[in-house]
Amino acid sequence: MKLPPVEYEAPTTVAEAIDLLAEHLDEASVLAGGQSLIPLLALRLARPAVLIDINGIDELSGVSATDGWVAIGAMTREYVAEESEEVADTVPLLAAALPLIGHEAIRSRGTIGGSLAHADPAAELPAVARALDAEFVMRGPSGERVIPAAQWFEGFLTTSRRPDELLVEVRFPAARRGAGVSFQEVARRHGDFAIVGLAVSLALSGGVISDARLAFAGMSDVPVRAAAAEDLLTGERPSAELFDEAARRATSDVDPPADLHGSSEYRKTVAAAVVRRGLRAAADNARERQ
Amino acid sequence: MADITLRVNGATCTGSPEARKTLADFLRDDLNLTGTHVGCEHGVCGACTVIVDGRAVRSCLMLAVQAAGSEVTTIEGLAPDGGLGTLQQAMWDSHSFQCGFCTPGFVMQATAFLSNHSDAGEQQIREALSGNICRCTGYQSIIDGVLLAAERNRER
Amino acid sequence: MTAIAAERYTGASIKRSEDPRILTGAGRYVDDIKLPGMLHAAFVRSPLAHAGVLSVDVSAARALPGVVAALTGAELEAMTVPGPDALMALLGWAGPTPEFTLLATDKVRFMGDPVAIVIAESRYVAEDGCELVEVEYDDLPPVMNASFALDPSSPPLFVNLGDNIARPHSRSEFGDVSGTFGNADRVTDFHIDVHRHQNVPMEGRGCVASYDADLGVMTVYAATQSVHVTRIAVAMRLGMEPDKVRVLAGDIGGSFGLKIGASREELAAAAASRLVGRPVKWVEDRGENLAASGQAREESFDVRAAVSNDGDLLGLDVKMVIDTGSYPGMGAMVPAIIEAMLPGPYKLAALGFESTAVTTNKACYVAYRGPWASETFVRERVLDLIARDLGLDPVEIRLRNVAPRTDPPALMITGRPLAGVTTRESLERVGQLMDFPAFRRRQAEARAQGRYLGIGVATFIEAAPGPRLPEGSSDPMGAESMRLRLEEDGIVALFTGQMPHGQSHQTTLAQIAADEFGVPFEQVRIVVGDTDVVPFGLTGGSRSATMTGGVALHGARQLKAKVLDFAAHLMEASAQDLLITDGNVWVRGDPASAITVTDVARRAASGQFGADVDATLEVEATFDGGEGGWSGGTHCAIVEVDVETGIVKVERYVAVEDCGALINPAVVEGQIRGGVAQGIGAVLLERSAYGEDGSFQSATFMDYLMPTACDVPRIEIEHLETVPLDADVNFRGVGEGGMIVAPPTVVNAIEDALSPFGVRIYEQHLPPARILELIAAADSGQ
Repeated sequence: MKLPPVEYEAPTTVAEAIDLLAEHLDEASVLAGGQSLIPLLALRLARPAVLIDINGIDELSGVSATDGWVAIGAMTREYVAEESEEVADTVPLLAAALPLIGHEAIRSRGTIGGSLAHADPAAELPAVARALDAEFVMRGPSGERVIPAAQWFEGFLTTSRRPDELLVEVRFPAARRGAGVSFQEVARRHGDFAIVGLAVSLALSGGVISDARLAFAGMSDVPVRAAAAEDLLTGERPSAELFDEAARRATSDVDPPADLHGSSEYRKTVAAAVVRRGLRAAADNARERQ
Repeated sequence: MADITLRVNGATCTGSPEARKTLADFLRDDLNLTGTHVGCEHGVCGACTVIVDGRAVRSCLMLAVQAAGSEVTTIEGLAPDGGLGTLQQAMWDSHSFQCGFCTPGFVMQATAFLSNHSDAGEQQIREALSGNICRCTGYQSIIDGVLLAAERNRER
Repeated sequence: MTAIAAERYTGASIKRSEDPRILTGAGRYVDDIKLPGMLHAAFVRSPLAHAGVLSVDVSAARALPGVVAALTGAELEAMTVPGPDALMALLGWAGPTPEFTLLATDKVRFMGDPVAIVIAESRYVAEDGCELVEVEYDDLPPVMNASFALDPSSPPLFVNLGDNIARPHSRSEFGDVSGTFGNADRVTDFHIDVHRHQNVPMEGRGCVASYDADLGVMTVYAATQSVHVTRIAVAMRLGMEPDKVRVLAGDIGGSFGLKIGASREELAAAAASRLVGRPVKWVEDRGENLAASGQAREESFDVRAAVSNDGDLLGLDVKMVIDTGSYPGMGAMVPAIIEAMLPGPYKLAALGFESTAVTTNKACYVAYRGPWASETFVRERVLDLIARDLGLDPVEIRLRNVAPRTDPPALMITGRPLAGVTTRESLERVGQLMDFPAFRRRQAEARAQGRYLGIGVATFIEAAPGPRLPEGSSDPMGAESMRLRLEEDGIVALFTGQMPHGQSHQTTLAQIAADEFGVPFEQVRIVVGDTDVVPFGLTGGSRSATMTGGVALHGARQLKAKVLDFAAHLMEASAQDLLITDGNVWVRGDPASAITVTDVARRAASGQFGADVDATLEVEATFDGGEGGWSGGTHCAIVEVDVETGIVKVERYVAVEDCGALINPAVVEGQIRGGVAQGIGAVLLERSAYGEDGSFQSATFMDYLMPTACDVPRIEIEHLETVPLDADVNFRGVGEGGMIVAPPTVVNAIEDALSPFGVRIYEQHLPPARILELIAAADSGQ
């Protein structure tokens, strides 16, 4: 399983990287952490003509909290985000999801931007980004644009990134005061991709749910918000019956994929359980934070 | 091909690997450090684990050129000349391994883990090592070796 | 009970001699070998399960810079000798013999079937070259299941066989089958399936083949369970005299039955090295290992059980079909072993057994740790199913059916005597350790809270090597040989055909020899892995503890006698008055007389003695296994099943084992735990999956899931006091038992957990989705 022949570029600035992307477009793959791309190359499933290695672009790393948002540079390693106090304090849902990504050695190299640009629908970060309406900052030859998560994930391993653009930063909104979070994952083994995963954030105000975010991993070719469940929950008090109904609504209109690890029916059944558990855990977490 | 310079086990090394050559293959083929083993080449089994700039990484998921300028430690670089480090000794005492193929990856991953978690308990150690696959032992003896090393480290 | 001279090392968990190199990266595995001028091989492999090969064009590959050679199946055929699979030939296979070539010529027979070989300066370039090979295929309907294979209209994989029957239907009866079934209170039918899964050692197959044209000698650095069997395989295929083939092996990264003889790819690499005149290395990658190295256990059973209302298992009538994949391996021989072992340690009065082996478009069936394991799975599942039907406790039904230990021993209905079997004791001990009544209370409380715990037991015996056979030896492979020599520097060297790949022979055999001979452990060296130097042997079948441990003991005794006879000349004493302890030879009662064993060795090597003194301090020993004996035991697991997700956790696992006298308890326990982990993996995680279209679907570790440190609990092991059968050698093998008995143990526990739903389980692979299906099906009354 040796990598195929490929040209290699290692720009040291974003501008250089963009020039290279503009030159090679779809013939290029951006190499960030490599934890998803290098296996694809080793299996010879990906055949880019050029690898643009952005590990040498220092300006792409860093976590900073400003003005109700946490901005994370695309090359920020997952373990750095995991250890970041800013992330823990300000985006607890992200902090909950990070330790579930693979194993420690994966998170040593894997990056926030890389995982989100790879956009595996069974991965943890896409579900978190979708739940929180994160924003994706792209830079290209004509400048910068910001894409909301709802428009970032287009299909299986496909994002709305244009071939001449580089993802430079991902911004997560700060959690509301007293919001409770949970990341649920049903996986075959510790550290595996989710068969079904769920990112949940519940904001409670005076005992009533003022904001509910639920985003599934593994239920479609992109992370999906359980909008019907979110609508049901908003304005209600947490209760087992409410959560049961939310689980029914979240899974009534879904057609999850089937693979070696589970049929579509199986994923639907598990998704309902995951919604119940996730809502219970998020509600408990909200109570703890108050 | 690019010329690279890096430090491996404390010594400065140079090479001219093709860009597509993994760090695992560079260590084994170009530097003749065959202690790092290749078990899957897609980042799941952990046999290829080495330490780069203080972090355990899967060397089959890094290109050699990406390690330019870095400090790399492989299993050959862990112990004083001809001796065994605390973890290695504890694993010997605990009969941690059988065929030995997964061993370097476990030793490197556990080394990195213990340096940051000196008080880890069994469940934490199991989770930390759950990304390394062993087919021979059923893991218990490996966990026992790591627990023993942690205990001996604390006693010092 | 083993009259070993000293018990200083034997029975103790002596630290392994292997570990200093293993722990420091100084092990030497096949892929570590670098020879001057060495080239690398890669294979073009079929993307189709079943197809005619119309043409193979390697010209573009040959033209790629860095490629030294590219060979088609036809070209390889011209430079090798056609013939059957070497292992099958060695084992005396007389059934249908498919004709096949090393690389596919006329057709490909499974996805991953090697079609062409590319030899290049690096593995990277070899793989690049493989992509340039153009193969034209003519798609054929794939035969992907046994029922189609049994259908005479299915396209035969092997033209010369004319059908897809690897071993034709045959039936045997033991005892009065029709009478037993006719008179039984109840006769129940079950259909039980075991799924396809595989060895997956962490190191795959591989070799470095180096042909010396001047000497006409082929040297193969191999990963193998027997250097001699590999030598025979290479010699046969390459048309060479065996003494012109030398096989060397160093450290081996596990095998579990996979690496025996030589695979088609290894033989192709060897032939290529002879052609190009340079060493050729081929080491399979994980994709090749999963898709093409071979798989095991795909077996189905129609079982009819004759039972009394009180729970006596009176008789079994079993129809087995085994899916042996495509190319020949040991699959066609497995039914006979299953038949022999099915009665287990029980009083079964009658057994009818019939089987058919079929070929399908899947990777070939290879030996996998306890190849006959399905006999234990079927029997232990059936006992639980019967117990559940009759409302009996699973331990009680087994105690009821276990054959009593008598003298002379009871015979299994299939013939082998149940000498020294301690099944009853192991069941009783498990009962004590697990406190079933307390568990049942905890189980009931948990159920009230919507949590589903279950407990399961299973018991087994393993012929490791088993009691003495009528043919004389305890072991079907016959006697074990060993050469022992006191080297000039005082080292006691043991030359054995064993080829350890995790078994720690370098340590265990040295323990025995050190104790028997009388030197420190460090003064013994175990020599393995060179056909020029070691006698014939094979590591497998859980036989080495008895056979090799035994020949080491007896051989060390013989060598010691020879050394003492010689030392008697040096010390002017009678040999009977001499002792060897701690590396010194001395006259009994006179410690001042001591001279070192090393001194004795040097004097013997000095050549100063005449023909009347035998100074060759070397013996060739053989051992037929002595009285042999069974290993066995009872395992018990507690599991929790999450009935909303189907995820199963093994909460507790206990093994009560009898493997005779222990040479090294830590080594024994490691073997047991490793086998149990594989059994847990088989039930919860591992499946070699093929689609109906012939595609292989578990070719990476993302799809073939291996158990990790979070999947395998602490495994508590207790060793029973064994019943010694032999005056000296009561070590028994333990290598395969864990993998044989863990699957039914875990499945029995899962069924117990799901009993409130009325679930009955007739299969071995229970991933989460399947658990939910079983619950739903039971709910709807199916």
